[in-house]
Amino acid sequence: MRNSIEFKVYGKYALFTDPLTKLGGEKLTYSVPTYQALKGVVESIYWKPTLIIVVDEVRVMNAIRMESKGIRPMEYGGGNTLANYTYLKEPHYEVRAHFVFNENRPDLAHDRNEHKHHNILKRSLEAGGRRDIFLGARECQAYVEPCVFGEAPGYYDTYDGEIHFGNMVHGINYPDETGRDQMEVRLWNPVMKNGYIKFDKPEDCTKVRRIADMQPKLFDHHNVQSVDELFEEIEAGGQS
Amino acid sequence: MSWLLNLYETYKANVDRVGEIETKHNDREYTLLPVSHTTQNAHITVEITEAGEFHSAIVNDKSDISTLIPCTEESSSRAGSKIAPYPLHDKLSYVAGDFVAYGGQIKKEEPFAAYIKQLEEWANSPYASPKVKSIYTYLSKRRLIQDLVAWRVIFLDANDKLIDKWDKKYEALHGEKPPIFTLVAGEQESAFVRFNVRKQNDHTMVWKDSEMFNSFVQHYSSLLGKEDFCYVTGEILPSTDRHANKIRNAGDKAKLISANDTSGFTFRGRFAQSSDAASISYEVSQKAHNALKWLINRQGKIIDQRVFLVWGNDDLDIPDPNADTFTLKLELEPEMEPELKPVAADVKISHTYKEYAREVAKALDGYRNRLASRSKSNVNILILDSATTGRLAVLYYRNMEKNLYVDQLIKWHSTCAWLHKYRKNEQGETATFYGAPSTKDVAFAAYGPKANEKVVKGMMERVLPCIVDGHKIPQDIVRSAFQRASNPVALESWEWEKTLSITCALINTREVYNVALDTENDDRSYLFGRLLAIADVLERRALDSDERRSTNAIRYMNSFSRYPARTWSTIQSCLLPHQARLGTRVRYYSNLIDEVASKIKIEEFDNKALTGKYLLGFYSQRHELNYGKAKSGDSNPTIPTSNHEER
Repeated sequence: MRNSIEFKVYGKYALFTDPLTKLGGEKLTYSVPTYQALKGVVESIYWKPTLIIVVDEVRVMNAIRMESKGIRPMEYGGGNTLANYTYLKEPHYEVRAHFVFNENRPDLAHDRNEHKHHNILKRSLEAGGRRDIFLGARECQAYVEPCVFGEAPGYYDTYDGEIHFGNMVHGINYPDETGRDQMEVRLWNPVMKNGYIKFDKPEDCTKVRRIADMQPKLFDHHNVQSVDELFEEIEAGGQS
Repeated sequence: MSWLLNLYETYKANVDRVGEIETKHNDREYTLLPVSHTTQNAHITVEITEAGEFHSAIVNDKSDISTLIPCTEESSSRAGSKIAPYPLHDKLSYVAGDFVAYGGQIKKEEPFAAYIKQLEEWANSPYASPKVKSIYTYLSKRRLIQDLVAWRVIFLDANDKLIDKWDKKYEALHGEKPPIFTLVAGEQESAFVRFNVRKQNDHTMVWKDSEMFNSFVQHYSSLLGKEDFCYVTGEILPSTDRHANKIRNAGDKAKLISANDTSGFTFRGRFAQSSDAASISYEVSQKAHNALKWLINRQGKIIDQRVFLVWGNDDLDIPDPNADTFTLKLELEPEMEPELKPVAADVKISHTYKEYAREVAKALDGYRNRLASRSKSNVNILILDSATTGRLAVLYYRNMEKNLYVDQLIKWHSTCAWLHKYRKNEQGETATFYGAPSTKDVAFAAYGPKANEKVVKGMMERVLPCIVDGHKIPQDIVRSAFQRASNPVALESWEWEKTLSITCALINTREVYNVALDTENDDRSYLFGRLLAIADVLERRALDSDERRSTNAIRYMNSFSRYPARTWSTIQSCLLPHQARLGTRVRYYSNLIDEVASKIKIEEFDNKALTGKYLLGFYSQRHELNYGKAKSGDSNPTIPTSNHEER
């Protein structure tokens, strides 16, 4: 596929928080990553407001295991509270994703150079991402490496039948990606076959829940480095 | 599927159990609550006729006060001065129309006005049952206290006001202290009143009548407003932001889902209100929480506020992963008794033990086959605990196919297996079984009988994935058990024997040994363990039967595990007088020591610490000497009983 990358992401823990338990402060992870979490991983590799990252597919490599920890969160009014967070243990995923241009940002039309963005993206992936990679929560550090999607053996390769995970959060719709001046949450029902989960596209999600009004953040040539500039830096041997 | 969705499905699969009273082993009652219902202790029962006339009233007996009552969202979370009446049964200050007339104090508005208005809506709705109408007809006459006084259920003072607290001066008016003042914790106005309607051909109590349950459930469903996406089912349904507590027991205040944070940043930041972060429908919340309460009462295990729960979506009763093989076998085949006699023949030993393990596997397979009619069924494993009093967390959740679950259980009970003698059967006799210990017993072996419950529950939570997912047992647990088993001087003899066999089972999960002695094994630790066992049995045989002290082998066991070569010379020296005492019978043991010692390579006969395998060798050799055939050609000593008495 055009403008696509394939990579593996792995770490010691992951926390894709179920919002139902988040309300009270006791976090419990989903069993598999949300689309939004993996999109965040790709955006940590490389992202500009010119681009919209689309996650195509994820493959669960390790068995789904949970582990709980006692946590001592700080309270902003002073003092602390106690909570139990339940993490995924030793998560390992293969991801395939690509980017498209954000047509809702006409100001950045000059920045739409597919070839250069893709090259920078691949190079950033080789370097392990331009920003910190984490799985769902900031404390769950992770690493990314390029790979060939579907090549390595996975735990669920020989699993017979499908695994249904019930209703889950797919992701969040922001104004600059939808063109509507509001924040929305998408819900969906993932199904895993032999470890593979194919994601619906954000626009194909039918269960969309409006949250609140929101205005898109302004990006223009004052606060965004152009792709041509960045590409020249990299070609000159600069760091990603 | 998420845990809430599975609980919701479990509730729907067991709808026929709604409202049926079940009893725990300690005679506590519990039930699967209908939606929009809760339990409350009722002090007064008022009987009403079908025509809506007062019939009679009594003060309830203490054993008959638990009552299933309908409740609304507001009434289930009312507190302080807030007026939120229960729909039908409620406190006297709410249900009595003449409460104020008899001296009742109200803070702002009249509670009865809110109550009767709510009841009127129900009585006039298309879902109302005849009993509701009868009760409404009577209560709208506003004469409940008057009738209760006439029936000497509640009592007035000389000024015709409700007596708050019983005092000697009222004996002139009413004689002995009436029972209502004993039963109600607070004042008379706090007495909880329940209503029953007397019918000629229907003797079901209103609070046990499924027609009444359905009547209110349907009525209340029609009143629910504000539909929103349910994050559990994905459908648009009436939502709620109040969720149940009392999940682990009737006094539990912790909630699984709570959202009352207005000053912190638990969810605020990206979201402004709790309804922004997540929304769950009223029906799913009610059914999931009620199912969870019911399952915890029915088959949950609670250790220091931590709940371990296992259930199936279709068949609720699932083999407990925390149970040992003995308990599991009794559950799956209650008519069979486990083997009680020690095996006597060398040839039979491994066959019998493998046969026993195969029997458990067969029992589990038989259990699996009983569900062959269903193509797919799942097992749920849930662990709950709270770090603070107000919130309950899901520490572990696993949903797996039943076939896979049974396979994992078979594997666990086949690999973490050893011979155990610490269980008693129904007649109180010692029962021998070969298989896995329970996780509680693993905690006993690793931390001792007086371990803090927090440590025990933490360990049980960590061992559960080893049973269910086939992971390795954490190294610190095995090491801790190993060190305790290597220190018999610090333990009672029964305690040490139990710890020893459990530790052998834990070590065996990665070594795959038999209880039967493996004479071909030339592992260094295994051989040293055998040496120690021979020394122990030799000395025990030489001691008089009335001499109860532990042998030198047992005394030096701790240092032997760390400095085997050095300690062995000490043990060998201590054996000399006992060898002399045995006379010619010592030849068998001396030959055995020579045989085992010669298997140890010279370069391995050093002071490096022994691994856990030495316990396996120790146990197997001792078992062989105590129960196997004696091979001494000079004499035929009788087979002795066990050297150590068990508690």
